[in-house]
Amino acid sequence: MDSFALLGQGLQNALAFGAFSIIVIGLLVGVVAGALPGISFVNAMAMALPFTYVMTPTQAMLFLGGIYVGGVFGGSISAIMINVPGTPASLPACWDGYPMTQKGEVRRALSIALTASATGGLCSALLLAFAAAPFATFALKFSQPEFFAATMLGLISVLAIAKDRPVVSLISMLAGIAIGTVGVDPLYGVPRFSFGVAAMQSGINFVVVMIGLFAIGEVIDLLATNRDLRPAKTASRGLPLRLADLWLIKGAVARGTGIGCMLGVIPGAGATPGAVIAYGVEKQASRHGADFGTGVAQGLAAPEAAKNATTGAAMVPLLTLGIPGSAATAIMLAAMMLHGVSPGPLLFITDPSMVYTIFAAMIIANLLMIAAGIGVAQCFSTLMRTPPAVLAAFIVVLSVLGAYGVRNNIFDVYVCLAFGIVGWVMKRTGFPSAPLVLGVILGPLAERYFMTSLANYRQDWTVFFTRPISATILALALAFALWSLYPGMKAAVDSLVRRRRASADRS
Amino acid sequence: MTRFAAAEDHIKTPPDDAARRRWWVLALRLAAPAGFLIAALVLPSFMLDTTRPLRGTGLGPAAWPQAMLALIAICAVIWMAQTVIAWRGGRPVPAATAAAPAGETYSHRKALIGLVLIVAYGWLLPVTGFPLATAAFIALWCILGGVRHPLAVVPLSLVGTVVLLWIFMGLALMPLSRGQGVFDQVSVTILQLLRIY
Repeated sequence: MDSFALLGQGLQNALAFGAFSIIVIGLLVGVVAGALPGISFVNAMAMALPFTYVMTPTQAMLFLGGIYVGGVFGGSISAIMINVPGTPASLPACWDGYPMTQKGEVRRALSIALTASATGGLCSALLLAFAAAPFATFALKFSQPEFFAATMLGLISVLAIAKDRPVVSLISMLAGIAIGTVGVDPLYGVPRFSFGVAAMQSGINFVVVMIGLFAIGEVIDLLATNRDLRPAKTASRGLPLRLADLWLIKGAVARGTGIGCMLGVIPGAGATPGAVIAYGVEKQASRHGADFGTGVAQGLAAPEAAKNATTGAAMVPLLTLGIPGSAATAIMLAAMMLHGVSPGPLLFITDPSMVYTIFAAMIIANLLMIAAGIGVAQCFSTLMRTPPAVLAAFIVVLSVLGAYGVRNNIFDVYVCLAFGIVGWVMKRTGFPSAPLVLGVILGPLAERYFMTSLANYRQDWTVFFTRPISATILALALAFALWSLYPGMKAAVDSLVRRRRASADRS
Repeated sequence: MTRFAAAEDHIKTPPDDAARRRWWVLALRLAAPAGFLIAALVLPSFMLDTTRPLRGTGLGPAAWPQAMLALIAICAVIWMAQTVIAWRGGRPVPAATAAAPAGETYSHRKALIGLVLIVAYGWLLPVTGFPLATAAFIALWCILGGVRHPLAVVPLSLVGTVVLLWIFMGLALMPLSRGQGVFDQVSVTILQLLRIY
């Protein structure tokens, strides 16, 4: 069956009453969670994981997909209305969205953000629907060395994103990989770093680490700062989106969508770098670049389109290679594994109905997002009257439940709380936590592919460089690493040269 | 160094207190990379519980984590070197910086109490069971966060706990802890009252 027929069948499945309701509920949960500072869609997805037990694998993916799509946009509602980004990816929405609110153009700002997000998300979902299958066919040629190379590319891309502090980001990522080695070794069956504790032998689950690092730290900050999350009473007489606005933002949306789709496919990148890079590019490309930060429509539209364009694209490596490229897709991987589904190229052969229903759900979710976004934005003021302490209390309880629900094990709750403390310390000291999470997620995969590659190819180290696909991906990873390290090295050399010149002048 | 440069350096030397403070700043900034370095050097000796020789070919189970720890050690040394160089040059170091947004007051006391409360909640879960620990936690957290009216705190903690119990134990059939001893009996009674059991 061709892609169109399969997608048609997927649309039929996704539009069935039960599946459609799940998408709508997921979408609403996502938009609300994204809009509430301190929750974020990743936490919402982790907390929603236990609910998926009572669902079929497809329903679980539709639910989480809905939260993902809605959550990525939801963060912009609070960014535009109260200047507090609900998710890190919504930070650029504060730069031009909130100034529009201050000018009394809140409805226009929200409409632009919604239109751009929905367009970016829809294009990305279509990319997923039509590019994933050919990519999966190509991925069938992959063996262990290629999977190792792809995982390495994901790990290395962390360096490219954290250009300002590559060494610190590298340490964070390596620490994550080291944490991922706790438990029984996948090849030899020997427990590592168990310190005599039996529960440690089952390893440290990445979902538990993620919940601890992201949710607990955020909650403690919410308590310690006692932020007033209520929107300021600004006049909202401004006009909603006009046809002229659509014409104005068309280029920004196209550029943002392109950047989001490209970055989303790269494991390790995600909505936040996508949005920030799109804002930077748009500032250079737009004729109004100099006015960015004062409430320029293009400055809001480009990052909005980019961050939602990463959602569908990020699912390409997850579904075709089984490699989660972001925290959100890692939770989706966990949900699939909990239901006994192994993502990868074979999934397209064994269960195409499920795969195309997910694609269809992503398309539907992006279309429905416009309605959900308008609805939540209307209720936002009421939502924000909830005291932060009440929100935080339930976030903690849901986080603990989410951690417990992964394996029904109290040890995971302890691990989650321990990482919660670590996450808070990291947040307060500015130590990057995202590379650590990526290390915990991708580290065990990288080790497994590396060790099995060597075992399958008689301990021949050159196998990674002699196989064309593996060598190409590794070359790409090396290029990424050099690109990220180049500015730092250049600055160090320049500084050394300047100091030498200064000392020569003095003497 | 010329006599003139030496004299200039002498004039620029800060007073003892300031110098000591600067040393403390450096020591604090070196704490994180030094911690990583020590951990990377010490942890390999705690890696495997077994002392029996491992059979089979290949790199062995310790190879991958050892490689990662070695890389951490190398990066930590680079980070320390960067910190020292930046400190000597009086430039901002590529290390941690406070994350609080400008203009926002941060109560470390509240944060620490919050952390203790969360840890206590996790510790009490298997002892008192999910229903009691959760109701108590929600109530205490709300009080700590400034929501103190009994008419708000009590219903919120009780209704919240009941809803969570109904969703997770009733609907999702999650085997949450009922506690030990008398707490187990209390939890069972609550669950029977809610028709979950």
